[in-house]
Amino acid sequence: MGAGPPGNPAPTVRRSLHDARETSVNLYEHEAVSTIYKKHRVPHADHVVATEPNDEVARFVREKGGGVVKAMVLVGKRGKAGAVKLVKTEAEAAQAVRDIMAMSVWGEKPVAVMVCEKADIVAELYCAVTYSSETRGPVITLSMEGGMDVEEIDPARIHNFPVGAAAEVEPFEIRNMLVEIGFTKDYGAIVRQASMTIASVYRAFWASEARMLEINPLAVVRRTKTDRKTGKPVEALELMALDAVVTLDDDATVPPQKTFGERSAYKREPTQREVDALLIDRDDHRGKAGSYVEPEDLGGDIAMMTFGGGGSAVTIETSYDVGLRPANFTDIGGNPPAEKMYRISKIILSKPGLKGVLVCGGTASNTRIDVTLGEGLVGALDDLAKEGKLDRDLIWVVRRGGPEVEKGLKLLAECFQRNGIQGRVFDSELPITQAPLILRDLLVEHRGYKPGPQAKAQGA
Amino acid sequence: MKGTSLLNENTRLVVVGATGREASQVVRESEALFPGMILAGVTPGKGGTTIEPDVPIYHTIKEAVAAHPTIDTALIYVPASSVKDAALEAMAGGLKTVFIITEHTPIRDASSIYAAATAKGVRVVGGTSLGCFVPGVGRIGAIGGKDPSGSFAPGGLVVLSKSGGLTVTTAEMFKRRGYGVYMAMGIGGDVIAGTIYSDLMDELQRDPHCTALVMLGEVGGSYEEQAAEAVQAGRFTKPLAAFIGGEFQEHQEGVAFGHAGAVVERGKGKASTKKRMLAEAGPNVRVATYYHNLLDCIEELGVRPEETAAKQGTVAPRYATI
Repeated sequence: MGAGPPGNPAPTVRRSLHDARETSVNLYEHEAVSTIYKKHRVPHADHVVATEPNDEVARFVREKGGGVVKAMVLVGKRGKAGAVKLVKTEAEAAQAVRDIMAMSVWGEKPVAVMVCEKADIVAELYCAVTYSSETRGPVITLSMEGGMDVEEIDPARIHNFPVGAAAEVEPFEIRNMLVEIGFTKDYGAIVRQASMTIASVYRAFWASEARMLEINPLAVVRRTKTDRKTGKPVEALELMALDAVVTLDDDATVPPQKTFGERSAYKREPTQREVDALLIDRDDHRGKAGSYVEPEDLGGDIAMMTFGGGGSAVTIETSYDVGLRPANFTDIGGNPPAEKMYRISKIILSKPGLKGVLVCGGTASNTRIDVTLGEGLVGALDDLAKEGKLDRDLIWVVRRGGPEVEKGLKLLAECFQRNGIQGRVFDSELPITQAPLILRDLLVEHRGYKPGPQAKAQGA
Repeated sequence: MKGTSLLNENTRLVVVGATGREASQVVRESEALFPGMILAGVTPGKGGTTIEPDVPIYHTIKEAVAAHPTIDTALIYVPASSVKDAALEAMAGGLKTVFIITEHTPIRDASSIYAAATAKGVRVVGGTSLGCFVPGVGRIGAIGGKDPSGSFAPGGLVVLSKSGGLTVTTAEMFKRRGYGVYMAMGIGGDVIAGTIYSDLMDELQRDPHCTALVMLGEVGGSYEEQAAEAVQAGRFTKPLAAFIGGEFQEHQEGVAFGHAGAVVERGKGKASTKKRMLAEAGPNVRVATYYHNLLDCIEELGVRPEETAAKQGTVAPRYATI
């Protein structure tokens, strides 16, 4: 199966429709460095952040004798995209800042650049802390083969160390890990400092309520320091985080949006219909009807009025699988009043280019079917008919169960009859995922609908 | 003993956060269905009051357990930021089973709860569990609503689902084909779940009342893979039908899989991987292509419906204008 042929991916369904638990806030490197690294003393290169060439950048590059200019984007593989540039002079730095700010990094526009001191790198480790569903607790991942894309590292050289669900990992535990991954073979002299640094990384992960904190590379760098006793410069090795990929838990005790602002998974601005839908739930907490999004490419020809998280997800998935092209997505639930259903129904049906409508939900335990379908949807259809805006070429398939389903479906069927709407109405005797199949077959038979190539052959 | 280790005729509940809107409704409806299962509620600050239909409220679980020593299970409805506090309080109170209904438990708290439960030998279900229903025995949480008999017939299937809504929808789909349910439970879809499919397989294998397992999974994590590994290890040999949602997302951008997440899970987590591993786990497993093919899977595996007179074949619409 699959959503579409390669190169033509199905549009992104915003995750809130599927599973709010999957949402998370990704931080830009400069945000992670200035907040989490700083607070928990994870060593990072000296740097300045800018959005255009300026005096601060010039002074920094002059003082440091050069630097590295990096794009601040959420997407990975910046180096491969040419969004990390080594500069030696002020002029080169200014040019690099301008070039990178004008770039599209794998489709993403940089929000800023970070100009860092160029580190004298001796070795590159990979280091990450995240949660494992195998151990159902935090895991520290370490490899001596950092610096490259983690997918390219030989899995045998990547070591996962489950740790207890606690605020701290003791440095001695980290030293045991460092011995196991072979760090001490060449860098035994700095194993104590390294263990303290990685213990700080873990503490930063736990305290910031991250779902993932990845540093690639966590580099062994050579730095010149002033010897305290002699006052002379000496060379010393130390571990330094040269990157930060941080995903915060959206469910964290302090919601990350409060600190870092909303992050949309979408690259486009919301449509007017999406904005209008948001207003439905804003001042009225009775039920939820305003969760409405359109595919990222704004395409599709099937209006989707779906109910309940799990029911919505399985209906949308099956619709794609049978070759239907959803034009919008909703996740209605919690027994919304008729007025909310009226408003969302009009928004759903106002999307241009529709050929069919799928009204589909499992067996509601709370949501009244007479109110949501029998009053809200019926009211919208009657008014659209009066206003001359009702598209009678649409084919409808309705499948719903729950409180007052008999009454609700009867009212809807009567509305179909009086307004000349073509459709079929089922109760929960029909398995929920057969509804998209029935709609597809009706559209093929009566409208010459061409299902997408991904349609599964069997299963009907 | 009638029922399972999670819900049986001896199960007695304290509802934590009982005075909230949703929880008090669940208390009222559950007590109407199975009177006497809920012995107490806990809401700090509201001790000494009662909620309908005459369930006493205490400030603490300790007080509730002291007054009602047969309480063995906590049903948690508190806000997400208080879930860890409530779950640890239940464990400290000596309770052996904890259902977390609350959604959006912080992942850090979920890992702390799981660690504490493992250390103490406590069974935690959830977060984001819909609850548990054993027809004829009892009900924990809102599963099935006011009248579960519309969606559930008694029988031998065990339904375990990450999605709450699909738990009931699935039970009803099988009821329409004559199959009944022995136990239906929402395990929740949180990244760190207190109870996963494989945690229950040994018990279900032993329990003669369980004739087959219907498993509803989703993309993400490795709980479905762990179920496949348990089957492969011979721990569950009864018929198992599975549906895994979310494969269509594999071709899309923006799905939450961090680099490190993918590395730690070693390629697991994809719906296609879960389906393949389950399909290859043993001859007793069938993976449904479409969700409704779960019915065919259970039939193919030779599980007989309790009610053979049930309607088969094409479903006629209630109303048709085309």
